[in-house]
Amino acid sequence: MSALCVTIDGKDITVESGATILEAARTAGIDIPTLCHHPALNDIGACRMCLVEIAGVPALQPACTYPVADGMVVQTESERSVQMRKFVLEMLFSERNHYCMFCEMSGDCELQAQAYRHGLAHWTYPTPNPRLPVDASRRFFLMDHNRCILCRRCIRACSDVVGNHTLGVMARGAHTMVTADMDQPFGDSTCVSCGTCLQVCPTGALVDRRSAYMGRHADVQTTESACAFCSVGCAITVVTRNGRPLRVEGGFDGPNAGVLCARGRFECLEGRERVAQPMVRRNGELTPATWDEATTRVADAFRAARPGAVHAWMTAVALTETMDAMADAFRNRLGAEVSLLSRPPEGPLPNGGALADIDAADRILVVGGDLRETHPVVAYRIQRAADHDAAITLVADGPSSFSAMAHEAFPMARLNDACKECQDAARPVIVYSADLPPEARQALSGLSTGARLIPLHSAANMPNALTLGLGGAAAWEECDLLYVLLQDGVLTEEQRERARSAAFVVLHAAYRGPDDDLASVLLPAPLWHERAGTFAAMDGRRAVVKPSTRRPESVWPEAAVFEGLAARV
Amino acid sequence: MARVKNSQELLNLRDALRAARRDRARSAVRVFVGMGTCGIAAGAREVLDALRRELDAHRVTAEIVPVGCIGACQMEPLVDIQINGGIRVTYRNVRPDMAPRLVQEHIIAGRVVSEWALARLAWDETDPLAQGQPDGLDALPQYADLPFYAKQQRVAMRNCGLIDPGCIEDYLARDGYLALARAVSTMRPADLVDEVTKSGLRGRGGGGFKAGVKWALAAKQVSDIKYVVCNADEGDPGAFMDRSILEGDPHAVIEGMALCGYATGASTGIVYCRAEYPLAIQRLREAIVQAEAHGLLGDDILDTGFAFHVKIKEGAGAFVCGEETALIASIEGKRGEPRPRPPFPVISGVWGKPTNVNNVKSYANVPRIILNGADWFRSIGTEGSPGTAIFALTGKVKDSGLIEVPMGITLGEIIFDIGGGIPGGKAFKAVQTGGPLGGCLPTRHLNVQVDFDSLRSAGAVMGSGGMIVVDEDTCMVEFSKFFLQFATAESCGKCVPCRVGGQRMLEVITRISEGRGKLEDLDTLRRLADGMKQGSLCGLGQLTPGPLMSALQYFEEEFRIHILEGRCPAGVCKMLTRARCINACPAEVDIPAFVALIGQGRYAEALEVHREHNPFAAICGRVCPAFCEQKCRRADIGEPLAIRHVKRFMADHEIQQPWTPAHVDAPRSQRVAVVGAGPAGLTAALRLCQQGYPVTIFEKLPVAGGMMAVGIPEYRLPRNILNAEIENIRRAGAEIVTGRELGVEFTVDSLLDVDGFSAVVLAIGAHKSRRVGIPGEDLPGVIHGTDFLREANLGAPPPVEGKRVAIVGGGAVAIDAARMAWRLGATEIHLVYRRTRADMPAWGDEVQAADVEGIHFHFLTNPTRILGEDRVTGLECAEQSLGEFDMSARRRPVPIAGSEFVLDVDVVIPAVGEAPDVDCLQGSAGVSVNRDSTITISADLATSREGVFAAGDAAMGPATVVMAVAQGNKVAVSVDAYLHGHRMVTPRWVGDFRAIPQIFNVDDYAEARRPVMPELSVAERYRSVAEVELGLDEAAARAECRRCLRCDLEWMSTTHPIGASEDALLAGMMED
Repeated sequence: MSALCVTIDGKDITVESGATILEAARTAGIDIPTLCHHPALNDIGACRMCLVEIAGVPALQPACTYPVADGMVVQTESERSVQMRKFVLEMLFSERNHYCMFCEMSGDCELQAQAYRHGLAHWTYPTPNPRLPVDASRRFFLMDHNRCILCRRCIRACSDVVGNHTLGVMARGAHTMVTADMDQPFGDSTCVSCGTCLQVCPTGALVDRRSAYMGRHADVQTTESACAFCSVGCAITVVTRNGRPLRVEGGFDGPNAGVLCARGRFECLEGRERVAQPMVRRNGELTPATWDEATTRVADAFRAARPGAVHAWMTAVALTETMDAMADAFRNRLGAEVSLLSRPPEGPLPNGGALADIDAADRILVVGGDLRETHPVVAYRIQRAADHDAAITLVADGPSSFSAMAHEAFPMARLNDACKECQDAARPVIVYSADLPPEARQALSGLSTGARLIPLHSAANMPNALTLGLGGAAAWEECDLLYVLLQDGVLTEEQRERARSAAFVVLHAAYRGPDDDLASVLLPAPLWHERAGTFAAMDGRRAVVKPSTRRPESVWPEAAVFEGLAARV
Repeated sequence: MARVKNSQELLNLRDALRAARRDRARSAVRVFVGMGTCGIAAGAREVLDALRRELDAHRVTAEIVPVGCIGACQMEPLVDIQINGGIRVTYRNVRPDMAPRLVQEHIIAGRVVSEWALARLAWDETDPLAQGQPDGLDALPQYADLPFYAKQQRVAMRNCGLIDPGCIEDYLARDGYLALARAVSTMRPADLVDEVTKSGLRGRGGGGFKAGVKWALAAKQVSDIKYVVCNADEGDPGAFMDRSILEGDPHAVIEGMALCGYATGASTGIVYCRAEYPLAIQRLREAIVQAEAHGLLGDDILDTGFAFHVKIKEGAGAFVCGEETALIASIEGKRGEPRPRPPFPVISGVWGKPTNVNNVKSYANVPRIILNGADWFRSIGTEGSPGTAIFALTGKVKDSGLIEVPMGITLGEIIFDIGGGIPGGKAFKAVQTGGPLGGCLPTRHLNVQVDFDSLRSAGAVMGSGGMIVVDEDTCMVEFSKFFLQFATAESCGKCVPCRVGGQRMLEVITRISEGRGKLEDLDTLRRLADGMKQGSLCGLGQLTPGPLMSALQYFEEEFRIHILEGRCPAGVCKMLTRARCINACPAEVDIPAFVALIGQGRYAEALEVHREHNPFAAICGRVCPAFCEQKCRRADIGEPLAIRHVKRFMADHEIQQPWTPAHVDAPRSQRVAVVGAGPAGLTAALRLCQQGYPVTIFEKLPVAGGMMAVGIPEYRLPRNILNAEIENIRRAGAEIVTGRELGVEFTVDSLLDVDGFSAVVLAIGAHKSRRVGIPGEDLPGVIHGTDFLREANLGAPPPVEGKRVAIVGGGAVAIDAARMAWRLGATEIHLVYRRTRADMPAWGDEVQAADVEGIHFHFLTNPTRILGEDRVTGLECAEQSLGEFDMSARRRPVPIAGSEFVLDVDVVIPAVGEAPDVDCLQGSAGVSVNRDSTITISADLATSREGVFAAGDAAMGPATVVMAVAQGNKVAVSVDAYLHGHRMVTPRWVGDFRAIPQIFNVDDYAEARRPVMPELSVAERYRSVAEVELGLDEAAARAECRRCLRCDLEWMSTTHPIGASEDALLAGMMED
């Protein structure tokens, strides 16, 4: 790469060779209008909004794909270019229903913004009436073909970013339509509801059902945060309005490169009945209580419990600060044995890889687990790498949703054979389940010095739990008091069975759920978007979670609850 | 099959193959059957089977050789017969039932079946020493001398139709793979690139990019893998040269690709061929296997270490996949869509590797260039475009097919010499080159040279080589709509300008073709076209507006007529054409209606229908050139309906019934003066009277009727008939004042200012003969055509009796003058015309009649001098040859130096055209006149002076009665509007809409023939003005009416929803 000098609109700009005119212009703050361009996507030069005049080149050229050359002189706002952009806009406005008045995106729409910028005051061609279908068969968002400008950002997001290849175009010419698979309803397609398409759509063609018509960009607040549902630690932007969460967007600069999974983007916002205030069991019924009353009951139970018969279970999804406070309070001051709801791995976890390494890998070894279920974002990244000719080797017992895309598959017993296959790779990446038996992990770490290893934990903050030396729930003889920090999880059947044997159960949870009948006292926990803190992601990063909505006064931070309890006991 | 190890072995093999084939041929009968897709579609397989059966039946041992297409599509199936290595005789349009005679006569008896034979074909496999030439050979033309072939030159298609494409030995015997052998053994890759560069070969896919430059770039790229791609995605409807080459000579393409591979450092070739070409793919597959077996393709070609493999990728047949980046995407298994360039495929192509993409034809040229040298190649064609071009010549041309011509040949030569011109005596209109993304060129471009640059500067492109000729019956609106439909349907939909722009254009053009257009639409089209051209991502979108834009450039008037008049002049646009005959009639007479009524014996009603648009049924039944019949759909399946004849029968049947035209409006006080009592003036007066205006017609001559009275001779139009129909106009209330001359007794000024007329219609006709402009034109004995006819018709004929007369000219006046002179007793009549008979503007039947009456025609002859001292003694003429094409799509006559000869004549009648005599407009201030002496009018027939209108020959130049009638109708509408205080944009005379039921089964008349008009014998015509045509009898006329296909009913049922009344009408169709 060498530096080149180009002149754009009279400004001399120095850029790396290989840059496009658009990139060069944007480094100098020159705003060339675009529609099909998106910084996270490969450019295709389809919309023709960015056509510019290059000295010595007779035809107008798309700035988004045209590489700069040394000494090139470019005019981005020549009369010809501007006329052409107006033409393109007139064409788009004549194609489908771009009557902004009733559109969800009005105010945030890129097409509308360009129309304003170019002074389109009226329809040059008869207003169209194609009456195209609206595909509302998907749970979280819908596709209104009438608003679609066929920029294909959604398609490129689906194929180039997510590697899922659900979206494509069908038919041609004026009949071109975005379609899922072989013209299936979106809801019946191979769509994984990652929502990346939704996020990159420049118009109101892809509409988020939850946040539609809830406010334009200017009316909402955004908070940069991290998703703490799994150990990937995706960068997210939480969009809220007046303290209410509207939607979650993926951060293109994060380890997830813009991609989120359905859980992180949509499911987390689904309305569930939350635990709004402390509750205590009276006459067999959980009834609302004051914090004082509830804490008194719990404190009494603590005091009544025999030493050694007090247990605390903690979710490993809890943020580091919560985890530390709980471990400190329960171990040191309340005399409880603290253990994790999910079983932590034993022994060393070979690591050192980052998700970004997957992009450059020539061979990816996927060992154990079912990534598409547990860590979809990692799975998408591997899918995408497979599109770029990375070979995928799967080692798993039983069916995996990854089986179809693996080039080779081995049973766990033949892990060593799988490792041998990877020996020759130039840039191997190994993605493995942290729950693997230690000897398997041992085998992996011995594989190749150049291999990047990425352990996938069963719970988000497991690395921190490990540093605290927490283990899985130990067997008990008798249990007088069980304190469960559940947050928004649920107990397994086995855990629930054991909890029944406890004389007194405190459930500290965000949502009402199936485990409530165990509870002698139910304490409210904050929702994920009300919390601040950090957690250790799988690649060792410290992910920062920021509160984006205000916590109700009736819900106390966990640490405060622990402190209060410890003080009373 | 043994591997060939080096060039010497290949040369030896060639010689051995040639010798063996010659030996084998010497004692054999060989039958070559054209088995390209075109041949097979025409029935070649059946012909081949029939020949084989017949040969077996006669126990004749013969080798049947399937060959590719020689390009003469019109003549398929083509069969060549060669006996004992002698000259091949080509038979055209062979049917299976012809096999017995071919075998019996040609093969067994050794006699050419001359009525089926096309030509003899001598080529390099012909054995000069061969015995066994069949009888009758000498009478056959050489194939190479056939008009279709004479101007062709075959380079890329040199083997097509001659060799068996399934047999590599055939190719090897024709120097096959010698170029490759020479290159890999004696040339460095750079030398090869240099040779191609020096040859000036330009990409035959249409773009014309220099192949050498591309190859050099590909060679320069540093990459482990490079590709050579052959673009065989021929998607242009009507172009099939790529297919033909692949089917007829696949090895030439493979050799060309291998040469490119050697030059550029690529070892993989991919032929991207559409799956619709199964035969081409099969032939290619076979050829690859054969070449590999011979060591001419594969890993170690000719033991030089050079490896080149060819694979075939079948495309699904999207037009856009002919675009190289889309083609590459398709090869990679993606949706076939173009991407922006750069990067160019030569830098980053298939799978991101350097890729040289060229067309089938480009590769097929390369072996010849290497073998014969770049200089040889440059000697063909033009400086900027060396070599040949291949066209699929089709459309309205007599001989269609694939032709390979040297670049630089003119369009006219291709269409008229190779293609044989326009069939059916129709007029050339335009030629579309470059397929659906090309452009059309009108008559004025017939002399344009065919090469990349000349075509482009004329507004068309070389493109894929499609060449569609269209004639007068093609509507340019519909024609361009067709291409636009194709191109927009093939748009991939990726970029906005192409996807949406094409659709908007299609909507606008559709609107225009349905008569719903607006004048602004033309600007909208131009704007859309400009946006598509500048903004589209690939050539498809950029060139989609091409056909429409060129049509708009050259035929804007036709578009305007669709918009302003709601009329399709060519009678093609469905919504605007009730029936082709009505559409063709200048007066828009409802022909199917009156014909149907005549068929039912309802003559009075029929005449009423006719008079609604044209009051002169009896006259036009005699003198009309019947534009309607020229467009009659019945002619598509036989002879046109005899509309003029049945019309005359109807009018004559009713001629005794006086007609008093009804007044449709209340009487008005504004008076209108009409100057001239010809068909235009009389019709205008009639219509204005019907609308309630008092009308006075002023006529200079002593009789009314204008040219109908003093131009058309009585033997064509008896005076009693003429006068009867003029009398009808008087009955309508028009006052006809004869012997009153404009400019002498009155002026336009006096009519308006003194006599109190509110409007004036100038219908003064075109009675002045144009001068030839040669010495001696003023000698006594020279009398100009219109003067001659006028004097003869007014009963004071000029003295021609017993004299020798020369007529100059080829129009109606010339023929009338000639036939009149004959009737007046001239002893010898010569008609001198500078072009050919086919070029004569006169009506064919009239020319025929003149011929019968003994007129001597001198075609390609032009007078140079009228000889004589004090009176005419002779006419000196020069013979003419035909030069360049002129604006009438006819070749311009060029005098042949030294060809002068003298016709000894006493009278010369120049009849080379007429013009209005506008001297009479002296004193009529403000009426402007054009350079050709016609009166200047706007679209509503108003002159430059307010209140003054002009119609008929005076306004449009010499024309026909029916055209004058049409103008009379129109000017009446315009005058009426004017007298109501407004102006019309495009006045139109609209009649009632009628749907006359068809009460018989049309199938019963499927075989019926057109009646022959009984005529006076030639002997009876001499020295007599008795009418020549005698008229049909009632039975013949009524029967003829049932041959009418009733296009009007079809129009009604397809373009207009059928209501209850029409249901009843259709229900009535079957009774009778």
